[in-house]
Amino acid sequence: MSAKETVDFAQAKTELAAEAARSGALLSGVAAAAAFDAAPEGRRPVDVLPRAEAVFVIGGAAPRAGDWVSPNYQHMEVTTTSDRIQTIALKIARVIEDRFGYYAVCVPPGVDRGQQPFVSIMLAAELAGCGSRSLAGPVLHPEYGFMYFAAVITTLPLPSDLPLDQPACPAPECTSMYAAEGTTPCLKVCPLGDGGCLAGKLADGRVVERRYDPVRCATRVQNYWVPGFQHVLKETLAEPDPERQKMMLFSSLFTRTLWSMTYANVSQGQCAECLRVCPVGRERRQKH
Amino acid sequence: MVSFLFVDPETYRKYKDQVLALSHAVQVDFQEHLPSDQDHPALSDREIGERLGLDERVVREIRCVAERDAYGIEEFEEAARFKDRACRDWARSGMSAVMKPYVDKAKGKS
Amino acid sequence: MTEGAAQRTREVKELALAAGADVVGIADPKRWAEHVPEGARPADILPGVASVVVVGNRGPTAGAWRSPNHRVMEINGYDFRNDAAIHRVADHIEHRHDHYAIQAPGLPTGGHLPPFSMMLAAVLAGLGTRSLAANIILNPKYGLLYYSACLTTLELEFDPMLEQDVCPHRMCVESYRRFGKTPCLAACPVEEGGCLDGSIGADGRIEHSYYDRERCVSRAMNFGINSFQKALADIVAEQDQERRETMIHSDFFSRSCSAITHYKESVAQCFECMRVCPIGRAERKLK
Repeated sequence: MSAKETVDFAQAKTELAAEAARSGALLSGVAAAAAFDAAPEGRRPVDVLPRAEAVFVIGGAAPRAGDWVSPNYQHMEVTTTSDRIQTIALKIARVIEDRFGYYAVCVPPGVDRGQQPFVSIMLAAELAGCGSRSLAGPVLHPEYGFMYFAAVITTLPLPSDLPLDQPACPAPECTSMYAAEGTTPCLKVCPLGDGGCLAGKLADGRVVERRYDPVRCATRVQNYWVPGFQHVLKETLAEPDPERQKMMLFSSLFTRTLWSMTYANVSQGQCAECLRVCPVGRERRQKH
Repeated sequence: MVSFLFVDPETYRKYKDQVLALSHAVQVDFQEHLPSDQDHPALSDREIGERLGLDERVVREIRCVAERDAYGIEEFEEAARFKDRACRDWARSGMSAVMKPYVDKAKGKS
Repeated sequence: MTEGAAQRTREVKELALAAGADVVGIADPKRWAEHVPEGARPADILPGVASVVVVGNRGPTAGAWRSPNHRVMEINGYDFRNDAAIHRVADHIEHRHDHYAIQAPGLPTGGHLPPFSMMLAAVLAGLGTRSLAANIILNPKYGLLYYSACLTTLELEFDPMLEQDVCPHRMCVESYRRFGKTPCLAACPVEEGGCLDGSIGADGRIEHSYYDRERCVSRAMNFGINSFQKALADIVAEQDQERRETMIHSDFFSRSCSAITHYKESVAQCFECMRVCPIGRAERKLK
């Protein structure tokens, strides 16, 4: 199709949502490209695609209920499925171009220079009403909890959704726990004041303060990956003894790091402890 | 201070042969119907540690280094030549590419 | 097992095959106790596990097996359809049957060792038996296959393990008796710098097998993580700056780096023992 004036934009949105669901997405939503004021210049949809009108967001491919109950923490490090959501996004982009005749481009899942995302997919998910930011960090959906997101920027002016009225975090259980103990499950499992990454405050059932140590988090979430590679290399080059250098380069840490870089699309998220204890979406994680 | 866990060369030299022999590095009589080979029992790191009186993590480090160390880098260079030769010979001669020397030997040819 | 279990089993198997699996089998998780220590069994990964679904897929196409250039299969050998199929199976079990289901972790987490052996899973699910060729599990119809597994709390009907060894093929028994070698042992003999040795007993079964995995690594994982580490160790130990530069830019190191970035596609880089294997050859013969 090339005659843009014939497109029913509301119908197009319905068709894209159906296509995403058929391909395995749990949900989808649309953010207006103009709504990304909170993003710095250079990191907005129009910086990726001139004349961008909308950002179509899809969510899904979360770890399964079985993944969460495994006592072997390494299991999820090597079997997560985030790459599947990007595959669906690529398909949606193609549908937008082929069926509706508008430009579409996927937000790259990796990072641009300075380790910054091209466009924040988390912000897109929030703006599209797919969830809200949590104390733990990730965007959570009220019903499903944690999931992976992908986003397609397009010149197709799809009707946009609104951010959630009621944030998914904190869950009522967390509010009660905070009132009783001054902490929540996620803050307790990884406390900033005790070698962890998270701190925060609740008031009137809302998050009113959040502190997060992304550098420490990277040592856990990207335990074996590019940062591990860089650290081992730095230590090795500083080591004068060739025999010890070899022990470092052949070590289990460095070996595992290389495997992780190789299979980066299935092993980037290597810590899920703050989300393991999160009650949002827990019902979806209860099976027989 | 040790920045990350890696084995010291002395401990490595002392245990590498034993660890490698007890690990999955050399697999002898692995078929399910055969009794396990006692010299090469293919133990887990924990089991090797129990035998040698070493911590499981130390065994893992020794094993990881020894796996890489077992053959020199020249073996990797030679590997490419081996495969190139074997693949082309097969395309040219089929099964006799591998069996001919043994057939000749059985027939008393040099 | 109930009629319901039989129906569920049929449904799961049909789904796996429709999702692209070439073969599918189901193992009783209790079978692992006889073969591997605690820590490497299904219940160590998923508590309450009731069934292990295993799928297998062919790797290289028949055309790839015909290529005289071994590099073709090195970078084009494996399409991970078995992983895709097992994801579909796991999703189906959680969504349709409301039971826990996970993809079993097959990537290494300590040196070469994964938390869970797909090869053993294939044997215990009745999909094949261990061969003389690097202990590779051979399927009676296809020979070499790549495997993925799903651990689940859903009760399914189990397949029996194969009663008949797939390896050795009768042609190989004959070859061993006449010439002292099977084709795979002849392709990569340990006495000539290869990985394999073994013998066949009077009953026609494997009597003894020997496999040097570390030598095999130099061939089957020729360029990648291993060669990268080894080359890097040499590079950092090199004192001469000019030599160090040529080492960094060498073809060997470049190929090692390249293989790391595309390792998913090039994880198997030697097929010589399988190339000569008669099992599954009929499936690789086309017009």
